Amino acid sequence: MDWLTLVEKFLWSGTAALGFAVLFNVPPRTLLSIFAIGAAGGLVRALLLEAGLNAVLASLAGATLVGVLSISAAHNKHSPPLVFAIPAVIPMVPGLLAYRMMIGLIKLSGTLPPEAYSQVLYETINSALRVMFILMSLAGGVAIPMLLSRKESAKHLHFGTPGDEDDVA
Amino acid sequence: MDAAKQNEMVQLGHILLQVGSLLMSAGANTGRIRITITRIADAFGYRTEMLISHRTIMLTLLSESDEHFFTNLKRTHPHGVNFKILSGISRMSWRVVAEKWSLEQINAELARLTALPHYPRWLTLTLVSLAGAAFCRLANGSPEDMIIVFAASFLGLLVRQETVRMGFNAYLCVYFAALTAALVAGLPLKLDAPNEHEPAFATCVLFLIPGVPLINSFSDLIDGNIQIGMVRGINGLIIAFAIALGLSSAVIIYQI
Repeated sequence: MDWLTLVEKFLWSGTAALGFAVLFNVPPRTLLSIFAIGAAGGLVRALLLEAGLNAVLASLAGATLVGVLSISAAHNKHSPPLVFAIPAVIPMVPGLLAYRMMIGLIKLSGTLPPEAYSQVLYETINSALRVMFILMSLAGGVAIPMLLSRKESAKHLHFGTPGDEDDVA
Repeated sequence: MDAAKQNEMVQLGHILLQVGSLLMSAGANTGRIRITITRIADAFGYRTEMLISHRTIMLTLLSESDEHFFTNLKRTHPHGVNFKILSGISRMSWRVVAEKWSLEQINAELARLTALPHYPRWLTLTLVSLAGAAFCRLANGSPEDMIIVFAASFLGLLVRQETVRMGFNAYLCVYFAALTAALVAGLPLKLDAPNEHEPAFATCVLFLIPGVPLINSFSDLIDGNIQIGMVRGINGLIIAFAIALGLSSAVIIYQI
């Protein structure tokens, strides 16, 4: 993959995250961080896909990065990690696969000749399972960093400067 | 316990229910609602027990000696994601503890937070449509497809906002929005080469994906709040189903 494609992935992932941030009415001070976190997650996912990892694991890695960065952003921007994490993982949702699954289901409910049926069935189930596992890994990737830290709130987590204990959510 | 103390308990109880209700409708997960309510109640020296469900919150406040209690139920507002409120209440809960806020201060802050404006409508429409175009690019769409998706998302979101304002059923609003977007994005598919604009048609409804219900569902489930996690998950699935129905209606109308 050439660098231009990577720059594009970075920018478009960030743009998609920003759109959802505005839709979810986030505080304006968090907008820039959400763009950066979404873009970083999308970039890591694209890099891992390029390196030959499957889509589920690449999404899990991207979402985990989003989860970790959100916790540290929560510290600096005084907002719960969720505010950063949800808009930032949404660009990784497998829209095209979900669409193929849906079209497949419509075809399967229609009248198909038997030989075509098994081909469509195979493709539909394959897309459906990939969609399911990618969605689960996105949700898991966001939730796991918070669980691993085993704290009630990001306030008690320390990244970087010690003694920085302002009112963090 | 004297009358003033009793009065404080009742007032605090109502405030906490209001806080819980706002958090639930703004898109907080169950753990966060529980922690925030407990944190504020602790600051005033009360113990809490609560039952949190998708549309109702039940709260019991207990005085330190267990002699007095306050119990009440509150129906939550209809769900509408608002991270400004989520973030504001979370911040407030820390200040209540650190700065020993009075009940009046909390009430004033809640009033301020609920009155905070949303982003201007044109900005939301533009940025969400741009996000749609970005999705299309990420799915390997051409610049032409991106323009199609921009237009489709713009009109789709407009329809969603208007139908929500008119008070339609929430899932029906999603269906109307998905149908509008799919009809716009499907037009080039119908008129032009069918296989070229597939990324546009597939990504035109992504602005509707129920990200908040599904992620909250997952985090509630693994946090042990199984019941509400399942309710949230089913809510997310119905939204996804409404989107799929909108898309497939367009497929049937256009005979793609």
